[in-house]
Amino acid sequence: MRYLRLYLHFLRFSFSRAMEFRLDFFFKIIMDCMFYVVNLGFYKILFLTTPMLAGWSEDQTMVFVSSYLLVDALHMTVFASNMWMIPFSINRGDLDSYLTRPVSTLFFVSLRDFAANSFINLLMAIGIFAYTLMNLKAPYTTGQLLFYVGCILNGWLLHYVLQMIFIIPVFWTQSSRGFSDFFFSMGVAIERPDLVYRGVLRWLLTLVLPFALIVSFPARLFFGPETPHLFLHLVFVTLAAWGFMLWFWKKGLRAYSSASS
Amino acid sequence: MIEVTGLSKTFKVSTKEPGLMGSLRGLVKRKYITKAALQNVSLKVQQGEMVGLIGANGAGKTTLVKILAGIIHPTEGQVSVLGHNPWDRNDQLRRQMALIMGQKAQLWYDLPALDSYMLLKEIYQIPDALYKQQIEFLSDVLQIKDQLKVQVRKLSLGERMKVELMGALLHRPNVVYLDEPTIGLDLMAQKAVRKFLKDYQREFKPIILLTSHYMEDIKELCPRVVLIKSGGLIYDGALTTIQKQFGERKKLVLTFEEKLTALPEFPAELGLLEMSENKLSLTTSRALLNSAMDVLLKKFQPQDVTIQDPPIEEVIEDFLQKGRA
Repeated sequence: MRYLRLYLHFLRFSFSRAMEFRLDFFFKIIMDCMFYVVNLGFYKILFLTTPMLAGWSEDQTMVFVSSYLLVDALHMTVFASNMWMIPFSINRGDLDSYLTRPVSTLFFVSLRDFAANSFINLLMAIGIFAYTLMNLKAPYTTGQLLFYVGCILNGWLLHYVLQMIFIIPVFWTQSSRGFSDFFFSMGVAIERPDLVYRGVLRWLLTLVLPFALIVSFPARLFFGPETPHLFLHLVFVTLAAWGFMLWFWKKGLRAYSSASS
Repeated sequence: MIEVTGLSKTFKVSTKEPGLMGSLRGLVKRKYITKAALQNVSLKVQQGEMVGLIGANGAGKTTLVKILAGIIHPTEGQVSVLGHNPWDRNDQLRRQMALIMGQKAQLWYDLPALDSYMLLKEIYQIPDALYKQQIEFLSDVLQIKDQLKVQVRKLSLGERMKVELMGALLHRPNVVYLDEPTIGLDLMAQKAVRKFLKDYQREFKPIILLTSHYMEDIKELCPRVVLIKSGGLIYDGALTTIQKQFGERKKLVLTFEEKLTALPEFPAELGLLEMSENKLSLTTSRALLNSAMDVLLKKFQPQDVTIQDPPIEEVIEDFLQKGRA
């Protein structure tokens, strides 16, 4: 409850601040609209030439696409601006004041800034997601839908965990540019059905750097038919990734050298 | 109580030869040097004490404060702050301490201080009654009642420091680390901050560890000082003792009725003689003072003679240069 109350303060602060910068507020909305149009358009064009993609029909693929747009919007709204700042906070010694507060430092640095100007886009992404679900031809129960939404939210948190794993090395390297670029390059894998990947790459994307588990696995579980092992795989890898990130973060804090005053 | 035993901290710093070739060499094989920021430091601070940490830039003062605040880990040594190991970062200790860094803002820049205080109330779980009491007391003493509803970025530097101080002390900490709290402030603001710290210390008796480059801060606030040089502790004791025991130089001033026209001859080995208007000033060592005075008084008949101790800034500077233990 205490952390919820703290987060409500962050929300209030972030909205107050966002309203002050009107141009930035509207520009961000336009940018994200373009991102949605390009992504949806890409798959619409693709389905002009083929009826199926990695075993999915057009309406299923659109649910998949709208799901990763939703994950992206959630990430941009809740985590992205904070994560952008973490390497700077580490290098400039701004982490000092967080470390002396009786509250989780990871909570503070990950959630302090809520991107209020992305919130409108989040509402749009939810709208697109709902629309593609309504257009899904195969029937599904409310239970299946809730399970799917739960898996997508898990994917969103897994995305955060993976990005953190690529940010934490800055405690030792001082610059995380190369790691961040690598993360964003690999992040493209979120936007493709995992079945398009084969061999080592598939192993990499489903186990070591499990980008394919963010949206593609939940979509496969939703569309079925899938065996329980896919769900167990999702749970096991998610827990392992969380565990590794928390361990790595603690190691990073131990190596933190602050900055000269 | 704060107890520090055999504390050392080393940093590994990479080095690079100048130029493009140096950069290329660094890319293939990087060279590192080990820098000792703190070396075998031991000290004890009792509850209610206000201690000044003094040292040149890079001496290790801030490193010591950061270790005590649990921000960085030491390489060696033991630290206990109110019975806790600070770098365990447990909330019980963190609720009882505050760190104020004059060069770093900790409040939300785009919001009024009162908004940030609401968040701090939640972070430190300050009861409503204490929160109201602290807001009332601190804003009154710091005289910033009217500034609390103004965005922090629109406040002057002095006002900003005051709202930062207020934010850091809202939860009434038992240990306060102050790193350059008056840096960049004008004389009036420095004075106000000093007066506030003095009053606060008298009222609530926290441990206060203060680092400052302004000797005025140290002189006014800290009966006890800790001198750090190249990471090592070279003095721990009363400020007045340094001045008495280690104020090697003395200043002898002879005042005359008439204005002086020329600097008289004087043996250079007895000190440096200077002239201004109707005064002769001699800077000499404590040991040579009597001989120098004999020579001068045989030559002149001044209207007044005074012997002054050198300013504390000079004594500390000498002390730090010599690194005397």
